[in-house]
Amino acid sequence: MKKVLSINLLLFLAIFLFECKPKKDKDPDEDPATVFDKQAMLTNYADNLIMPSYNSFKVSLDSLINVYDAFKISGSLIDLQVVKQKFQTAYIKYQRCDLFEFGPAETHIIRSSLNVFPTDSVQINSNIALGTYNLSVIANLDAKGFPALEFLFYGNGASENSILGLFSNTNRKQYVSDLLTEMSTKINSVVSSWSSSYRNTFINSLNTDVGSSIGFLVNQLNFQLDYLKNAKIGIPLGKKSLGVAVPTSCEAYYTAYSVSYAKETLNLIENAYLGRSVSGSNGKGFDDYLAHLDAKYNGGSLNDAINTQFAIAKTKLSAVPDPLSTQVTANAAVVDAAYVELVKLLVLLKTDMPSSLGVVITYQDGDGD
Amino acid sequence: MVIERMNNFLFKKASIAPLVIFRIAFGALMFISILRFVLKGWVDTMYVMPKMHFPYFGLEWIKVLPAEGMYIVFGLLLVSALFIMFGFLYRVSTILFFLLFTYIELIDKTNYLNHYYFISLVSFIIIFIPAGRSFSLDNKFFKRSEFKEVPYLFLFLLQLQMFVVYFFAGVAKLNYDWLIEAQPLKIWLPAFSHYPIIGQFLEDDWVAYLFSWFGCIYDLSIGFLLFNKRTVKFAYTFVIIFHVFTAMFFNIGMFPYIMMTITIVFFSEGFHQTILNRIKRFVHYNSERETSVGRANGTLIYVFVIYFFVQFILPFRYVFYDGDLFWTEQGYRFSWRVMLMEKAGSAFFYVRDKNTQREIEIDNKEHLTYMQEKMMATQPDMMIDYAKYLKKYYEKKGFVDAEVRAQSYVTLNGKGSREFIDQTIDLSTQSNSFLSNKNWVKPYSE
Repeated sequence: MKKVLSINLLLFLAIFLFECKPKKDKDPDEDPATVFDKQAMLTNYADNLIMPSYNSFKVSLDSLINVYDAFKISGSLIDLQVVKQKFQTAYIKYQRCDLFEFGPAETHIIRSSLNVFPTDSVQINSNIALGTYNLSVIANLDAKGFPALEFLFYGNGASENSILGLFSNTNRKQYVSDLLTEMSTKINSVVSSWSSSYRNTFINSLNTDVGSSIGFLVNQLNFQLDYLKNAKIGIPLGKKSLGVAVPTSCEAYYTAYSVSYAKETLNLIENAYLGRSVSGSNGKGFDDYLAHLDAKYNGGSLNDAINTQFAIAKTKLSAVPDPLSTQVTANAAVVDAAYVELVKLLVLLKTDMPSSLGVVITYQDGDGD
Repeated sequence: MVIERMNNFLFKKASIAPLVIFRIAFGALMFISILRFVLKGWVDTMYVMPKMHFPYFGLEWIKVLPAEGMYIVFGLLLVSALFIMFGFLYRVSTILFFLLFTYIELIDKTNYLNHYYFISLVSFIIIFIPAGRSFSLDNKFFKRSEFKEVPYLFLFLLQLQMFVVYFFAGVAKLNYDWLIEAQPLKIWLPAFSHYPIIGQFLEDDWVAYLFSWFGCIYDLSIGFLLFNKRTVKFAYTFVIIFHVFTAMFFNIGMFPYIMMTITIVFFSEGFHQTILNRIKRFVHYNSERETSVGRANGTLIYVFVIYFFVQFILPFRYVFYDGDLFWTEQGYRFSWRVMLMEKAGSAFFYVRDKNTQREIEIDNKEHLTYMQEKMMATQPDMMIDYAKYLKKYYEKKGFVDAEVRAQSYVTLNGKGSREFIDQTIDLSTQSNSFLSNKNWVKPYSE
């Protein structure tokens, strides 16, 4: 009996150490890749998609800040136009990293600091009028980030000259600077964490449970798709308001780029599924993982089903012209058709994909049985 | 004859040591498990954060307490677990532990785990066994005599309970998907292909078959092997191997450790006596007290005949319902169906105002926690609870005669998602029942 017990204790210890020990790097070339190389997949995500996307966003945000500083001094219309142009580039670049809200981005609450829409113009104006505000309080979540900048640069149907006039107000000038500074501080922290230590953490977390890199990616992929379906399309279309369209709830309402951004988001989701880099080359991703595991969808291949559904959803979404705010009333059937296809895509990515990968799709930890 | 032999078997004198060791081990494990539960923040996520709960059928009167109340319940659980361990106010502590643990388990179907069910059952049994009558604070404080021997019946109840868990878990594995398709292990094991040494094999089908068959044969036979004095050592080695594997592959928390530890109820009296003596010496427990012999109340037999009879029939109640058990899950719980299927779903709910025939789509996250949404999306009875909640919620918001429909898709053992719920049915008008089939579930299509 004693012997049995000591075996028990040994195994106990072994498993305990095994579970606690940080996973070591494995050389992918060591033995023929009979099993799917998850680390290679994660490395592809980190090096070719996530970090380049953040870097590229950081560059365009810095450039926006530069031109804005110039405009602050000159106050000229030409400089304002340059600012608006740089603003749009930065906003698009932001759309391309919105999916990676885990690790550093989650720590710095990027998504809800940079892109809460619709923005609260009343709150913005009152902040400006007061001249003192704390941007990190919850009340100011919808008075900052890109949507707030958009309102300040484009206004509500106001002419370019009248916007320019408004910028003679030093409080307004300062408010924009403060918004930009907050965004820049946050994104710089994210970029530096990724390049210093988080990349290593990310590519060495090879489990599929809550809090693993694969778990994060799958969850965020679905979060992003759900967000696209609901916030970017469904709510403006009236899905939450008894079928009565809510045009003002569109993303990028003032610039009327809602559909463009929605397409960016869908493209980002597809990149994140395929492991496709920012430059468009298709590396190791979930598509390869599912194909490797020979995951099935009603007799056929799950990967094929997902790719087909991406194509259909993209076509239907492309059929919707901007501005979305008028399309949701004038052309609701076309918008709805895109919505329906996004729902189908969501089912595949939220139900079939995680279930085939053995990924726990939840942020909430708990014991199973 | 039979009765007499049974009496001889159950009431033969046995050492109290195994019961005392069990009491100490169980109390300690429960203390650790519950502390872990609290520290992980699960009291919050499971009992405080949810805006609604999914009650068990017939137990809708069991309500959650406000946050302070829930923390008090968990505090009392911790205290009673410690008391059980030390044998202090043993009877009161065991009753309290059983009631409170069962209470927290029955608040919300979302949190159902076979493991929790098992803990409830064991804590019920220990109310009736005199595990606090030796090496206990009770004996010390109340100057009671030490029991040295007690009828074997008490230990047998614990052993039989372990046996039931394993055996029925094995019976549950006797199904086509598990044995012939090696599902869900064929899906679950490849996720660990990065493990050192064994990882490289985990994507191979033969490993999934090996694990499936080993698991099934293990569950069916281990109880018998543990009961047999000649095979108990050998069997225990397998218990360790089996639970080490489950701990490696499944997110099941403390359970493997609990099972590994309390399976020692099958070990010889000598083993327990040795350990007990050592502990006694270590803490300088004075056992020079007057000793006596414990007795068992005859009516206890009847209580536990019913208790085990219920456990024997519950796993088979599903045969009275139409439809695929894994699909409808009617008769699934309380049957030791442990880690038996890979099931996932998405559910979209729509609430319609009957007057205007206008409808809204529900964002489940606004009403449910992630865990609740995940569980609800694959369990038809939870969808009915949710639909009824939504109807009430939106009628309060001004909807007239709200109708609730669901569009939902579920995938089972990697076959691919398919329609789960009949979209034409107003789910808020349906009711869960023991007696009728769940007609709102679409038949499972191969």
